[in-house]
Amino acid sequence: MREYYPLTAAQKMHHKWIMDYKTQQVSGVSVVVSLQVPLDFKILEKCIKLEYERYGCMRIRVTKPDKDGNSKQYIVKNDEREIPLMDLRYLGSIKAADDYLQKKAYETFDGDNIPLCDISLIHLPEGYNGFFIHMDHRLIDSCGLVIMVEDIIKLYSHFRFGSEYPEDLADFKTVLLKDLKKASNEKRFMKDKKFWDDQLDTLGEPLYSDIKGKSILEAARKKHKKKSLRAADIEMDNLDVKVKDYYLEWEPTKNVLAFCMNHNLSMTNLLLLIMRTYLSKVNDNQKDITIQNFISRRSTHDEWTSGGSRTIMFPCRTVIEPDTDFLTAAYEIQNIQNRIYMHSNYDPDYIVEEMKKRYKTPEHTSYESCYLTYQPMPVKINSPHLDNFNVHAKWFANGAATKKMYLTVSHTPDGGMCFSYHYQTACYDEHDMELLYYYMMRILFKGIAEPDMTIGEIIKEV
Amino acid sequence: MSNEKKFKEIIAQYSKVKPEEMTDEMRFREDLGFTSLDFMSFLGELEDSFDIELEEENAASVYTIGEALDLMNKLIEE
Repeated sequence: MREYYPLTAAQKMHHKWIMDYKTQQVSGVSVVVSLQVPLDFKILEKCIKLEYERYGCMRIRVTKPDKDGNSKQYIVKNDEREIPLMDLRYLGSIKAADDYLQKKAYETFDGDNIPLCDISLIHLPEGYNGFFIHMDHRLIDSCGLVIMVEDIIKLYSHFRFGSEYPEDLADFKTVLLKDLKKASNEKRFMKDKKFWDDQLDTLGEPLYSDIKGKSILEAARKKHKKKSLRAADIEMDNLDVKVKDYYLEWEPTKNVLAFCMNHNLSMTNLLLLIMRTYLSKVNDNQKDITIQNFISRRSTHDEWTSGGSRTIMFPCRTVIEPDTDFLTAAYEIQNIQNRIYMHSNYDPDYIVEEMKKRYKTPEHTSYESCYLTYQPMPVKINSPHLDNFNVHAKWFANGAATKKMYLTVSHTPDGGMCFSYHYQTACYDEHDMELLYYYMMRILFKGIAEPDMTIGEIIKEV
Repeated sequence: MSNEKKFKEIIAQYSKVKPEEMTDEMRFREDLGFTSLDFMSFLGELEDSFDIELEEENAASVYTIGEALDLMNKLIEE
């Protein structure tokens, strides 16, 4: 007898986007992992097939949505598909192969009760070989993918070089059941609800802030014929996305990391501060700023190794006075974020529902223009037999953005940082991203050099 | 199972340190490798497992295993 389970809050978030935007493309995630060395594809194929057995989330199927758009999930016992081979050597360069894979990343998984995970063996130009993964975010988040890649490499090292067999991964179903039990704990639910409702009781309705300044909110007010409107429209039709990456070199990154360590600050909170300071600057010194921040709910060993989609976004709302110094402002954010972590079992959709109920905001409007993910885990080749070879590992955007601007900050192999801005072309252009990155860096380095300087002074000076 | 044993087993789900190696002086972040999210998630687990209510202000002043255990025992007695 097949067992069906509800989707978790994190899965529901992606499912809802698929329903709202009417395409699965918004939920795609793709990565290529390759090494500049010949690989034994027979062994690699065996490892990928084994991974389907070890990592239960790869075998999730999602049922046809009911009349309200809700689906359930189930886990099939076996997935014995053949692993296809993509030979892209004819493309001549890694750059051309990446362009090809970028198009593959736009492909959708259409249908219900179907596999939502494809893995191909891949020959790339310039002597690189490896595998390409294309999945649905309802099955996995990027942390889960990194764990999966590492596990496949460990399996390969075992079968190819005789290194130790990797430890078992946590059972996906066990962790799923624990999550669902937590989510249905009435006492916890009420406590979480109180936390989020209290924030609205204390601060009132949030106020939209845009990368391009006040004109966006003004346009929404005009469109909806409501002068007091505090939310702005979301683009629902043109989901075309572009990506602009900027790299911060090792030396300045070292200073940023040292600042975080010396002041017991997390990188996420520092990033939230510099982003909110920019929004404040370009929105007439607006004090009340909200940014959506993604949290990967992986804390226990089982949560780390069970796969699944555990990343969920919560609004980080802060009201910071201009005479607050940079470091105090960072601690204010850290304080609110810590409290959010304590209440992160809550389904953020309830927060949106509560705000709609209280403030009667028009359909398809939002209080946020910026979304942030800090991704501290790079794709690594953890094998003494393979880590001397050049690696080509690259994430591919799914090409359909549900968010106006989504910034992913990650660490690069050379010790620097990558700021990857995904923006809806209907809302922004490359110049907007250039300005955003430029000012974020100015604010960051001014703040860490003079942490006693006030936010108001920093806004004026940069 | 004693409360202390259960408490340490919960910590072990988040850390590489084994329950029998844990001491009261060990700090969650520096010695056990907890992130802020880990710590907050751990507190939630304590609430559910021991049916207690932690005040966020009290939790903020907890740095070591001993301090967390004292706070937890106090709340269980209440």
